Amino acid sequence: MNIEFSEILWLDNQHEVSLDELIALSGLSLQEIQHLVASGALKPNNPAEDHWHFNSHCIVSIRTLCKLKQDFELEPNAFALTLLFLERIRTLELQLQKLNQNSSD
Amino acid sequence: MKYKDYYEILGVAKTASQDEIKKAYRKLAHQYHPDVSKDPAGEEKFKEIGEAYATLKDLEKRAAYDELGRYPSGQEFKPPPNWSGSQGGQGYSFDDVDLADLFTSFTKARQGGQHQGHKMPIPGQDYELAIQITLEDAYHGTTVDLSFTVPEYDAQGQLKRVPHTFKARIPKGVTDGQKMLLRGKGGKGANGGANGNLYLNISFIPHRLFRVVDHDIFIDLPLTVTEAALGATVEVPTLEGAVNLKVPAGIASGQKLRIGKRGLPKHNQENGDLFAIAQIVVPAKPSDKERELFKALSEASIFNPRAHFE
Repeated sequence: MNIEFSEILWLDNQHEVSLDELIALSGLSLQEIQHLVASGALKPNNPAEDHWHFNSHCIVSIRTLCKLKQDFELEPNAFALTLLFLERIRTLELQLQKLNQNSSD
Repeated sequence: MKYKDYYEILGVAKTASQDEIKKAYRKLAHQYHPDVSKDPAGEEKFKEIGEAYATLKDLEKRAAYDELGRYPSGQEFKPPPNWSGSQGGQGYSFDDVDLADLFTSFTKARQGGQHQGHKMPIPGQDYELAIQITLEDAYHGTTVDLSFTVPEYDAQGQLKRVPHTFKARIPKGVTDGQKMLLRGKGGKGANGGANGNLYLNISFIPHRLFRVVDHDIFIDLPLTVTEAALGATVEVPTLEGAVNLKVPAGIASGQKLRIGKRGLPKHNQENGDLFAIAQIVVPAKPSDKERELFKALSEASIFNPRAHFE
């Protein structure tokens, strides 16, 4: 049995992926990512620089987005809007979890 | 190999048009899509629907599927000799695969052979695994055994389900719902294509004492009436052993006492915190002596917890 130690990537807001890694992992094209960034749905951590980096958690949302795009044939504007909603849902779910914890006290 | 009736799954007739198939799929996808539906059974149903649609929406694959014949759902069957969807030629066993594997390989073979006679690189498929770990494992880090099967061609060109079994180290500090990626640990790429990736969805086995929100840990701290009224120093368990916690006099149920940095580790930051939530409890069956003392307290006390009602 092999022991895998080196190739784990945390998908969270503490770790980053480069634009190239995001393209490779998400299956999106450079143009699609540029469209998401231009629409404000996806925010690089270093927008002023040439080589963008993103929080690795965006891979989770973008993979979900790609599945939705494929399954419901989303057009580009709906595509960007859906990513915004996915991120909003994730944030709200986390807040709800914290509120539930407080209200159960 | 077990037969799946893709037409039945989508609820359409075998003669349905491509448009009817698409409409039926869309309707079911809205109902069962795991990113839309919260129905726990929905995910499995959606996989089935997606598998059926992936085959029937593609005219070439639909024709190959129709060529298989029609059987009752779940019945064992073998594709006919020289079936057009077969990539393995004569003598192909089909024993170790399912219909989804067969049509996935059909697509890959088509992609791989398309470019002016040159075989195109085909990336391996990504997989997702859900794993459960204990809170203690999350705190200290752990190693988990991972095992799943992926469809791969063997040396004879036969499509088979091959077990992928290996260990992965989960670093300390993962949180409930954390996602991780193991690069290259998904399905094998073909014609020089990169291997797929393996996504791990980590969740915590519920703990008998602790609850977790992000990197913070919460524990209910039962206190007697006298401990709450007079204050006390009580022992509170943490994931690194018990600590003594000073409970201030006059604490109310629900108030939180923070024990700093006793939560889950964070990457390059201080640990989260542990919160002890006061719960004032009384004996369900007080002894005679306790009853007597509570009665005396009740008679002597001028405290009115409902003063604000007036």
